[in-house]
Amino acid sequence: MKTLFSSYHVWAYLAFAIVILALPLIGDEFWLNRVAKYLCYGMLGAAVALTWGYAGILNLGQGLFFGIGAYAMAMSLKLKSYTSMQQGSETPVPDFMLWNAEPGAPTDLCCITPGSWLWIPFQSQWVGLIVAVVLPAVFAYIMGRIIFGQRISGVFVSIITLALVLLTRLIVTDAQPLTNGFNGLTDLGWFTVFGVELDPYSKVTYMVVAVALIIVLALTRMLVATRAGTILQATRDSDTRALYLGYDVPAYQSFFFAVSAGIAGLAGMLYVIVAEFASPSFLELSFSVTMVVWAAVGGRGSILGACIGAILINMLEARVSETESLVEAWKLIIGFVFVIVVIYLPKGLSGLAHDLMSKLQSAPKLSSVQKEEAHQ
Amino acid sequence: MFDVLFIGLSLSSILLLVALGLAVTYGAMGIINMAHGEMVMLGAYVSVLANIWLGANLLVAIPIAFVVTALIGLLIERLVVRRLYGRLLDTLLATWGIAIILQQAIRLEFGLSFFGIHVKGLGSGLQNVPVPQALQGTVSIFGQDLNAYRIFIVAMTLVLAVATWAVMYRTSLGMKVRAIIRNPGMAAACGIDVKRTNAITFALGSGLAGVAGVLMAGFKTVAPDMGATMVVDGFMVVVTGGVGSLFGTIAASGLLGEFNALVAMVSNDIIGRAAVFAVVICVILIKPAGLFTFKGR
Repeated sequence: MKTLFSSYHVWAYLAFAIVILALPLIGDEFWLNRVAKYLCYGMLGAAVALTWGYAGILNLGQGLFFGIGAYAMAMSLKLKSYTSMQQGSETPVPDFMLWNAEPGAPTDLCCITPGSWLWIPFQSQWVGLIVAVVLPAVFAYIMGRIIFGQRISGVFVSIITLALVLLTRLIVTDAQPLTNGFNGLTDLGWFTVFGVELDPYSKVTYMVVAVALIIVLALTRMLVATRAGTILQATRDSDTRALYLGYDVPAYQSFFFAVSAGIAGLAGMLYVIVAEFASPSFLELSFSVTMVVWAAVGGRGSILGACIGAILINMLEARVSETESLVEAWKLIIGFVFVIVVIYLPKGLSGLAHDLMSKLQSAPKLSSVQKEEAHQ
Repeated sequence: MFDVLFIGLSLSSILLLVALGLAVTYGAMGIINMAHGEMVMLGAYVSVLANIWLGANLLVAIPIAFVVTALIGLLIERLVVRRLYGRLLDTLLATWGIAIILQQAIRLEFGLSFFGIHVKGLGSGLQNVPVPQALQGTVSIFGQDLNAYRIFIVAMTLVLAVATWAVMYRTSLGMKVRAIIRNPGMAAACGIDVKRTNAITFALGSGLAGVAGVLMAGFKTVAPDMGATMVVDGFMVVVTGGVGSLFGTIAASGLLGEFNALVAMVSNDIIGRAAVFAVVICVILIKPAGLFTFKGR
């Protein structure tokens, strides 16, 4: 292992951090709000890369964790919304619960609709924040323990996760009095930190999301470089061999599965702060597969690559969508790009960049300074 | 009770219609074809187009749809799937891309909408196919009035299942396919042209999906995104039944369809569907190889 800063990976992460931190200098609040959403998607892409690229587990239900994070935060913010105030009660009560309540039901969270007591802890925004990250992680850990403990692997894991996210979507849409069903949670309030309200259309909120993303990327990158991360990659390449070498394979897989779920939950939570809604569409199969597309295009084997892939695709999509006739064509293009990437570029854009860099680095007469310049 | 069981039976037959093609491609080739639902959708559109442009009714559309979707399947196999054998999860992703392309192709009327040309029957709108006079109304069986078209679907599903069984167990092609299911390497060593057999299998599976699409066009509105949910249902059935087992697929579709109908009767349709997903998850957890399966060799 070379010294820390001689590796171009570090420079790539630094460059990325500087770019996203510098964006507020060139854009207005409206544009930054959009970019902040893409940064949340980028975080999702990194979560997919962690399980898919490093653990070899293709999770087709990552949207489940994103959705849990989003709903947990949205429940807290819904209770802070002006639409929940003055509904004939001292404490805030979501407006849709009133519409769904049985006639004569008391206007209080305890019993206005069946199960509405579940909302009581979310009166504190910090509960929403913690649940958004911890619940997906704990849930994923238990799920992982069961799935990997049974030594289920490959496509069967994908099908279980896929069935689970669709199952959850059905339950969420069916529980109309509790979740507002198909409509999702809208008209949300703002998150408050130290007396500062996080207005979605402000530079402060953008910076919160950007810093969170940088921290997540850095920690995840360091995590996969640890001993545990190396063992995880060994289980990906041959789980039987790792098992025979005496490693508790399900434990490693479950742990990283949980980390990835926690990151997805965090991404969902931040997304709600920025986008001001949570809806069952987060739990649709197409959304979960779309995340995998981002990671595949960016490069499943690289945390940063998958993140950039997600951001790039979404930026491109937004640009293309400004021309009306291209909106439908965009999906066609994405379809083609995906087929071509899977066939010809299985390592994605980051794999391409990696190959280029190793060619440059193996060129003998380049000094290290030149290498850095070449990268930038 | 009888009517609930009949609803379950017709749900089962629809599941089986979608799953039959998947059972063949996934079981034999180890290809997760996410575009299978789009093959169903294309079959449905063939019947729409045949009705508008040829004045042909649903029954005439069945063979046309079989041929058209089988040819498209062959094309997909040649261009994409062939390059991905042995990369199971990648086939899932690549065929997902194909599914998007096919959906958008119908929405954009094969791209003609960009030139202001509109093909009647295509586009993003909903389409309907009239059901032949003979299959409308109800039929009385055991004192119960049952929807004639649903009975027709159940019967057609039976016919197709028997036909698939006959191809798999009574023809030389079927024997080759079964050999490949058990052990592709050994099959190749015995002189079976695995690539060619796989191509034919893929076309056959796609053709079955096309026929399923025609039958569905009779009772569902036809839309470009109609196939997206079907492929998931189809996979649930195939995995529950056991990969590579035709009998397992048939049995699983029967079980899941009836279970769906029974749960839906005591609660509602959404919970009925959710219960099916829950059952599938449990089956995979307890018996990952599926309910009815054989040992690989």
